[in-house]
Amino acid sequence: MTPNRLRHLASAATESARLAGALALAMLLLVMAGCASTPRLADTTRSELPSRAQLADVPFYGQRDYQCGPASLAMVLDASGTPVAVDTLIPQVFIPGREGSVQPEMLGTVRRHGRIPFLIEGSLDALITEIDAGHPVVVMQNLSLPAWPLWHYAVAIGFDLDENEMILHSGMEPERLESFKRFDATWARSDRWAFVALAPGELPAGNYASGNLDAIAEFERVQGERAAIPAWEALVARHRDFAMGHFALGNARHATGDTRGAMAAFEDAATQDPGLAAAWLNLGLLHGDLEQADEARTALEQAASLPGPWQDQARKALDDLKTGV
Amino acid sequence: MMKKICRYLSPLLIAALVLGSLPVAAAPASSGSGLVTTQDALNAERTRGDHERIHAILARDDVQEQLVAQGVDPAEVEARVAALSDAEAAQMADQLEQLPAGASVVGALFAVFVILLVTDILGLTNVFPFTR
Repeated sequence: MTPNRLRHLASAATESARLAGALALAMLLLVMAGCASTPRLADTTRSELPSRAQLADVPFYGQRDYQCGPASLAMVLDASGTPVAVDTLIPQVFIPGREGSVQPEMLGTVRRHGRIPFLIEGSLDALITEIDAGHPVVVMQNLSLPAWPLWHYAVAIGFDLDENEMILHSGMEPERLESFKRFDATWARSDRWAFVALAPGELPAGNYASGNLDAIAEFERVQGERAAIPAWEALVARHRDFAMGHFALGNARHATGDTRGAMAAFEDAATQDPGLAAAWLNLGLLHGDLEQADEARTALEQAASLPGPWQDQARKALDDLKTGV
Repeated sequence: MMKKICRYLSPLLIAALVLGSLPVAAAPASSGSGLVTTQDALNAERTRGDHERIHAILARDDVQEQLVAQGVDPAEVEARVAALSDAEAAQMADQLEQLPAGASVVGALFAVFVILLVTDILGLTNVFPFTR
């Protein structure tokens, strides 16, 4: 062996050692980043929920090719009482060019089928709280590492707190058992994105007054006020003091011709939040329509006294009332 | 002669189109009775201005085009985009390429294979069905 070749071999060895070192360091960093530990649940979750739960009535639809999005949607829609075939859902949510389905369209497709998509808080506690309430949860996972993502939708249908395991309908596998540790590591890479698809009138188990309001408002825009009324009624029943909920219920009732019901809801909204000018304004306008001038004036004066985007409109309505237009 | 007419006509046409479409786009949806709608109240509460609402409306057209380019059936596109919220439509218009799409494929490089095998065994990932 010539000295030249020897030197060459030595440098190759150093190089591969360097590569191995870099790899080991990368692994070490990953482990030290803390993503390898089993996620901890809040004490209240452990004390309030049963140690094991599994939703029996969520059917399983196996995915074909890359179509875990349509398959997951079919499972939760079926569980919420609107069976839709996977083949119907594919052209509605799958994007051939991306070989997958994106999050906004997952939510939009739920709306198209008369169900309301509610995003839930991204925590294991919130997730199993929904399952315990009977709501299967669509989760987005990145099964691989961030550098080479393998995005995946699955449906969480159960949990076992003794074994620290999730139960999921995932891909080709019904009732797959996945350790909390592995599940949370893959779920965390989607920023713990998760939603439930519920019939109007049902709400997520978690307390999300403002988020629920947005979810129902978007549903209403797609499916119309009549379809949304049960959802608004459920929202104000859950959150009695949430003025915007009463306000939205009032508008939905008004749009379906229930003027008395609408006025009652606007009154509730103004009672809960006397600073909600839009509620006073709508209440006053409806009193005006019914030619109840005194009540109309009282409400419109409230609206006109509050600075904000509706002040001009309220002042004008008040003027119209005085001149008897 | 034709050219001359075109030269005068086209700016006029453009102006007419722009002016004709903008007020419709910017006008808040009204229920007819003059009540403040829920969407208007929410927009006011979250201080979303006209600018953002116009952006959202333009975004929907943009998303339709992008989806067709990505192989979605043109007959389906309109209904798909109509089901999105303004924020969702804007998100898709701005970053359809970057949005994670459920069920892509991993670039099957050997080095990647080995790394993912190790992370699978460590319980950090879930790429290979046989590691659990």
